[in-house]
Amino acid sequence: MDEGLKSELSKQGVVATNLQELYNWGRRNSIWPLNFGLACCAIEMIASTMARYDMARFGAEVFRPSPRQADLMIVAGTITKKMAPQVVRLYNQMPEPKYVISMGACAISGGPFKQGYNVLKGIDRYIPVDIYIPGCPPRPEALIDALMALQRKIDAQQLTGDSRPRHLNADEPSEFTVPKFGAHDLEPPQNPVVWHAPLVQIALAEDDDSGTA
Amino acid sequence: MKPDSYLPIVILLLGAVGFAVTPLALAWLWAKNFSPSKPGHDKNSIYECGLESTGDSWVQFNPGYYLYAIIFLVFDVEVVFLLPFATAFTGFGIGECLAMLVFILLLIEGLAWAYQKKVLTWT
Amino acid sequence: MTLEPLKLELEEKVPGCGLEIISNPSPSAQHSLLIDPEHAVAVAMYLRDAAHLRFDYCSNVTGIDWPAPNDAGKAKLKDMEEDLEQDEADCATAGYLEVVYHLYSMEKKHGPVILRMRTCDRGLRVHLPSLVSVWRSADFQEREIFDLFGVIFDGHPDLRRILMWDEYTDHPMRRDYVEPDDYEYEPTAHDEVLRKTMNHYAK
Repeated sequence: MDEGLKSELSKQGVVATNLQELYNWGRRNSIWPLNFGLACCAIEMIASTMARYDMARFGAEVFRPSPRQADLMIVAGTITKKMAPQVVRLYNQMPEPKYVISMGACAISGGPFKQGYNVLKGIDRYIPVDIYIPGCPPRPEALIDALMALQRKIDAQQLTGDSRPRHLNADEPSEFTVPKFGAHDLEPPQNPVVWHAPLVQIALAEDDDSGTA
Repeated sequence: MKPDSYLPIVILLLGAVGFAVTPLALAWLWAKNFSPSKPGHDKNSIYECGLESTGDSWVQFNPGYYLYAIIFLVFDVEVVFLLPFATAFTGFGIGECLAMLVFILLLIEGLAWAYQKKVLTWT
Repeated sequence: MTLEPLKLELEEKVPGCGLEIISNPSPSAQHSLLIDPEHAVAVAMYLRDAAHLRFDYCSNVTGIDWPAPNDAGKAKLKDMEEDLEQDEADCATAGYLEVVYHLYSMEKKHGPVILRMRTCDRGLRVHLPSLVSVWRSADFQEREIFDLFGVIFDGHPDLRRILMWDEYTDHPMRRDYVEPDDYEYEPTAHDEVLRKTMNHYAK
């Protein structure tokens, strides 16, 4: 339908839509997050749902205490290697369609604890992440911005065709490998289906203290 | 009585059933046409806290929990009866007083029984 | 609290116990008392129960890894500490693990008294007596030292790993701990991380 005609109709109180738009409109305005926090970012996540920042304006105030009822997983905080299997299992238990916001430096890459022996270097090693929010911790505005970005992403999803999202495609997996506790590290240390080491050109000199070039 | 006098009820009934069934039918149709079902080991597991459940769910619980709750409930309800008794206390005759006394004594007897059975002590 | 009179008193009250004062030349001057593992519980009991001492509060238990001097020198930190306690590091050839207890007295309002215990080596003879029977607050911290350093506390009521998972076999706070090679690109790698980067790409 012609966009101009559509906006003209909406001015007259007539809403024209199609199934895909209706579906996306419904989903993007009722993203229910999973009620769990891992570290200090969770405090900002809580703050963003309270009266001052009021995430309820975007239909995402219903924090569900069960993964069975949640659409969105906000990974808010440092993921220790001991906690990582639980996070992945929770993600697996969420019904499709499901989305992940990786909130804060720790959830993206390990953050300030990246070189630690006990910290996972980012949750995207095991589960697909839709939105990354940098910050340590990100402010509630940043989380709301991420939610709006996720809404835009949902709005652009196709109902049919090859570019349709994972949950509409029967061939794509809904569950991802839960890492096992190994003798030295988690096994596997990353899920190759989801994550590849970033491809960068690194020139190293013996005495180069400036790092990578 | 005219035969069609039940018609409004039938219409209401159909409306009620339709209200319940239509969303379910639409969801079923939607899942059939667009959204494939993707069950899996983790998704179908019973426990939903991220941990794998271990052991058997048929374990014995201490019946003390149950008895404790029952005794609490009895005395909780007793307070509800005692409150009107207290407000109307001055206007009572001997008969009402005796009836109330018997009621309280019965409950105290129960408490004494529970105490003697050592239900109230936790090891 | 001066340690010399305390040492003399302990030697008198707990016969046969080997005590040594380890001085700390840094400005904090927190000298500590090295006790031998055989008499550790008796010494700890005396420190807790003697009427004029009453060290009823064990505020902190921590571990230190002292590798043998020849295979050390990996970490910069090590060098610094070696300067501080040069004579100490020299005396051991096989290296050892050390456990440090910080004691205070709530009742007498004095402290700290710092106790140290050392294992024989860093391999198999890493047993030390647990002081949980003396101070219950040592429970989790001794588990943590068991987890991260691998000191085995004999007589501990529940010696399991506390921070890492049970299947884990390493002791990450030891200086010779080799972490898994899961290096990831860092835009500003330097020092230790740069070394890790080079090792990773050398493979």
